[in-house]
Amino acid sequence: MSLWLDKYRPTSLGKLDYHKEQATQLKNLVQCGDFPHLLVYGPSGAGKKTRIMCLLKELYGPGVEKLRIEHQTIVAPSKKKIEINIIASNYHLEVNPSDAGNQDRVVIQELIKTVAQSQQIQSSTQREFKVVLLTEVDRLTKDAQHALRRTMEKYMTTCRLILCSTSTSKVIGPIQSRCLAVRVPLPSTEEVCSVLTSVCKKEGLLLPPELAKQISEKSGRNLRRALLMCEACRVQQYPFSADQDVPEPDWEVYLRETANAIVSQQSPQRLLEVRARLYELLTHCIPPDIIIKGLVEELLNNCDGQLKTEVAHLAAYYEHRLQLGSKAIYHLEAFIAKFMAMYKKFMEDGLDAMMF
Amino acid sequence: MDEYDELFEIEDQFEEQFADELEVLAQMEEETSQPAQCLKQVQGDDISDMQHLLDNQPSTHKAKRQKQDTGVVRRLFNASQTQQRNVPSQDDNITPPSSPEHYEPSNTFRSTPAVLDISGLAEIPETPRRPVTSPPPSKCVLRRPPLEGDFISVTDSSGNRVYLRQKGEADTKTVNSPNRISPNSHSALGLLALPVRVLREQEAERHHQQVVESQRLTELLVSSLNNVFTDSGNTEDQENEDPQDAEGQTSQLWVERFSPRHYTELLSDDFTNRCLLKWLKLWDNVVFGRERKSRPVRSDRQSANQNSFKLSQGSQNPNRFKSKMEMTEEILEAELDQYKRPKYRVALLSGPPGLGKTTLAHVIAKHAGYNVVEINASDDRSAEVFQKRIDTATQMKSVLGANERPNCLIIDEIDGAPAAAINILLSALNRKDTHGGDAGTETAKKKKKEFVLLRPIICICNDLYVPALRPLRQQAFLLAFPQTQPSRLSQRLAEISTLQGLKADTGALMCLCEKTDNDIRSCINTLQFLHGRGLKQLDSRIIQRVSVGQKDQNKGLFYLWQEIFQLPRTKRKHIGKGFEEAPGSGSGFQRFQHILHLASSSGQYEKISQGLYDNYLSVRVRDPKLQSVSEALDWLLFSDRLNQVILHGQNFSLLRYLPFLSVTFHFLFAHTHVPRISYPHSQQEATSRLLSSRNALSTMLADIPASIRSRIGQLHLTLDVLTLLLDIICPKLRPVNPQLFSSREKELMRELINTMLAYNLSYRQDRTPEGQYTFMLEPRVEEVARFPGLPPRRQLTYQAKQTISREMEQEKMRRAEQMMLQRNPSPKEEERKSAGPKPTRNHQQRLENIVKQTTVETRPEVDFFGRAVGPRPQRPLLSSDSGEKCAVVAMGTAVGNSDVWFRFNEGMSNAVRRNVYIRELQ
Repeated sequence: MSLWLDKYRPTSLGKLDYHKEQATQLKNLVQCGDFPHLLVYGPSGAGKKTRIMCLLKELYGPGVEKLRIEHQTIVAPSKKKIEINIIASNYHLEVNPSDAGNQDRVVIQELIKTVAQSQQIQSSTQREFKVVLLTEVDRLTKDAQHALRRTMEKYMTTCRLILCSTSTSKVIGPIQSRCLAVRVPLPSTEEVCSVLTSVCKKEGLLLPPELAKQISEKSGRNLRRALLMCEACRVQQYPFSADQDVPEPDWEVYLRETANAIVSQQSPQRLLEVRARLYELLTHCIPPDIIIKGLVEELLNNCDGQLKTEVAHLAAYYEHRLQLGSKAIYHLEAFIAKFMAMYKKFMEDGLDAMMF
Repeated sequence: MDEYDELFEIEDQFEEQFADELEVLAQMEEETSQPAQCLKQVQGDDISDMQHLLDNQPSTHKAKRQKQDTGVVRRLFNASQTQQRNVPSQDDNITPPSSPEHYEPSNTFRSTPAVLDISGLAEIPETPRRPVTSPPPSKCVLRRPPLEGDFISVTDSSGNRVYLRQKGEADTKTVNSPNRISPNSHSALGLLALPVRVLREQEAERHHQQVVESQRLTELLVSSLNNVFTDSGNTEDQENEDPQDAEGQTSQLWVERFSPRHYTELLSDDFTNRCLLKWLKLWDNVVFGRERKSRPVRSDRQSANQNSFKLSQGSQNPNRFKSKMEMTEEILEAELDQYKRPKYRVALLSGPPGLGKTTLAHVIAKHAGYNVVEINASDDRSAEVFQKRIDTATQMKSVLGANERPNCLIIDEIDGAPAAAINILLSALNRKDTHGGDAGTETAKKKKKEFVLLRPIICICNDLYVPALRPLRQQAFLLAFPQTQPSRLSQRLAEISTLQGLKADTGALMCLCEKTDNDIRSCINTLQFLHGRGLKQLDSRIIQRVSVGQKDQNKGLFYLWQEIFQLPRTKRKHIGKGFEEAPGSGSGFQRFQHILHLASSSGQYEKISQGLYDNYLSVRVRDPKLQSVSEALDWLLFSDRLNQVILHGQNFSLLRYLPFLSVTFHFLFAHTHVPRISYPHSQQEATSRLLSSRNALSTMLADIPASIRSRIGQLHLTLDVLTLLLDIICPKLRPVNPQLFSSREKELMRELINTMLAYNLSYRQDRTPEGQYTFMLEPRVEEVARFPGLPPRRQLTYQAKQTISREMEQEKMRRAEQMMLQRNPSPKEEERKSAGPKPTRNHQQRLENIVKQTTVETRPEVDFFGRAVGPRPQRPLLSSDSGEKCAVVAMGTAVGNSDVWFRFNEGMSNAVRRNVYIRELQ
């Protein structure tokens, strides 16, 4: 528990640093002792999980914090064994069904249904329901989501679901309509700065506000990353200086270099080099949609204003194809080839216009 | 097996024994045998008389003898006990010995001309052909070894040993001692050198051969109708044969009929043929040299044999192809191994179908004097059966029958055999002599014959790269069949067609060759088919139009990729106009069809598209605007989507759209240059690397405590945490002993260790191949987080890592102990209490008695080795009490009171011990 990230994580709704209004709303929601299914969504590093755990603590008391890891094996109808890790307390359990890959439907059907079906024995001392926390719901397959639909309704008396995802776009409508959606937006730059300063204060360090600002900007207001960056800065050099180098994740640097390579030259040979870099990214467990997103951001920075809409359109198109297909590398390369063709044409047209 | 072999050997000896006499008696035969002469006289006159003559054979002088002999046989069978006595009495009557007689009839038959009408001959063998004789006695059989001259010792089942003089005079009779029958006649069948059944078979075979021969003749006659053949005898023949001939024509394929029977007729590549023959000849030493081995005078004969072998080899295989393929050459020139076998004990012929591999193997084996034993895919090739067949083929020999040749095993279509069968073949190849070095002694020789493979094996396959064949490939003499030369093939085709009365010009035949990719079988079949349809005239247009003869052949992926990326070259000028329309050339439509056909016939769409993807950027594309590249990628996306739909919805009807990808790539990227195509590994590599990084991450995640685990997923780990975490765990540490750290540094250190433990990271000592020790972060997430080509991050020094690693180990132990205490505090407390007065277990056991003896009254201050340190006078006091007891007491007090103790252990370095607790190591 020695990363600042873990050490200074708020544990109750009252101690949350930002979005206090939402915190009180959540508190009110739980106050009456019951709540509907929740769909908590928001970008990574905004504090979704923190908020959920605070809510659970509000609901069940500190017993929720005593966590244990259980390994369960579920046998799919095809006799395939699926191993899944469950993080559980006495009152709730947390599952990441997408760990099971394509077989997540089985996890939903077998595991969640059995949990939901079981009644609490001592309802006088405890709540009448358990909570099942499903993370990364946006990575669930459609089958699994459909399997979830009926379960949510049928076992309402004994079980509440909290779904946690980065966006609602991949959660099917029926599930969205069954849940109370709670959006946790990213903290603002100031909020990130204040969190960083307070953490440093607790550590007995002095953080110059310029550095705090720089960190919060570099982290893209992702609080998890901001805290880690801050700590990394601390390790790098203690008496902080205002214009210190803020370390960044390697893959972002690599992706940026890739984007620069694309912009600097457009030829089949360059495409081949870019392919090698893409493979590198993919094999380092960077998901292809994140790659395409990062690329687009970088490419847009280097593009003329006229091209921007077109590039965004292209990226959207190929990202969609990517979701439908199975070989990510084809789709990424297709996007890049298309961009190259477009960019080259634009540049040549521009040159021609200059000539005449 | 043993018995068999013995019998076998004796038979060998027996034959050898007779070898000299045979000649003499054969000469005698010429003078005495009437029937043969009779036959010769008769044969020209009247064919119908022939049968009569043969039937009347018993009237001849020899047949009389036969009658007598059959009588003997009956007596032999009726009373085997009396027979022994009878045998010597009969000896006087029968002058010619048995063995020459065995050969006599065959001699007579050989002299009958092949042109004979043998319609009636089938019944002939019913008459007893073999004169039966009992072995005559001889002075050559001795009870003792003869004083001079060579001899052979023979031992019978009852243990009697006799000695046979080996080189006697011409009239020596070689038989066993009078009170026994010869081993040859021991078996009932052995009375005849060839049993009647075999003789019948032979006769039937000869009959068949003659039929075939006459068929040929008639065919010749039929084909060349223009030439009027006026020989009356032959026309008669023809009339007689006609029904049979017609039957033969309908039932027999041309391929069979015109298959080469001799080495010179082979159509396949000369070099390949010669190589195989040469390889087979390498076996001569072990296979044919073996006959002499059992002779006492082995050594000089064998050497002579070897010399002759070398000579023959030299003359038969002039080193003409040295320049062609030196590798093959070297293999063939390589020395024989300890059993005088070639280094590669099996030949593996490979090549596409229809090149004549099987034919070549058969012809060459026959040419080299082997009896062919074939195993092919139609046989059961399960492991046990295969083993049995290999053993029988390589270790046994046909004792009966005229063709007493060594076997040559031909395993056809081996690429379809199961891996188990191939393993059995390999183990047969590699079987070693169990006796090791002493191959000189007679017993070792005998054993060796059973275990070691001493016969050539030829394997034939179409696809050399079948996974099951991989181990065999390394041990086999590989011969890849090149394409048959179209000129030779068409020449042969021309011969056949003229024989069959089919008019075909060279152009048409060349066209046929081309169409079938020089597949001999397919060519001839097509010819027969066309002939069967009543065509008498053949030109290239007909060939072009006909849809037979085209194989749906799997060409291999590289060929396909090459075809896709290469524009068809304009064909060289051929005779005939059909060649402009050859597949792959010409208009776009035909290219389209060609590629489509190739792609869809190969069927491995996944591999194809992967190969296209990996290679399309490296072929020389002139595409400055990247239009075709993006179009190609769009097609790839389409096929990927298609694949997804097919696999997800099991909608396999969509499979038919997949080959169009290849066509698109062909039209986009085809070039006249020869493309350099590499096998697509990228996807596979990427998957395996992805898997390894996933594994690293999941091992890291697996042991992270639950409170942290619930906050980070794999995705967060890779995207946000890992890189920065690796930075965080590399703080600046003063390179000093951790005990000299300031309190702030200690705090830092503790935090670092906490972090590493919380995230399940540790350092593991590794030895690099250079012999240096390094500390590696375990699990290996560094590989996941770091990218190549980026500025390297700061690394801890070896010393710092070592310190951290040590501290971590301590911390882990501390935590484990704490956990134990928390979990079961009560027993631990007790233990600790009891640990005070009592020494720990193992030295308690040792010194229990001593400790019991000592009454710990005084607690003198003692030094490390138990000597009193404090008050000096104590020691003399104790020793003065009594020598022995004093020592015991001193020891007891030492053990009882201090927690340092030792026991003298010669040669041991850990004699001095102390119990240390982790909690004391603060």
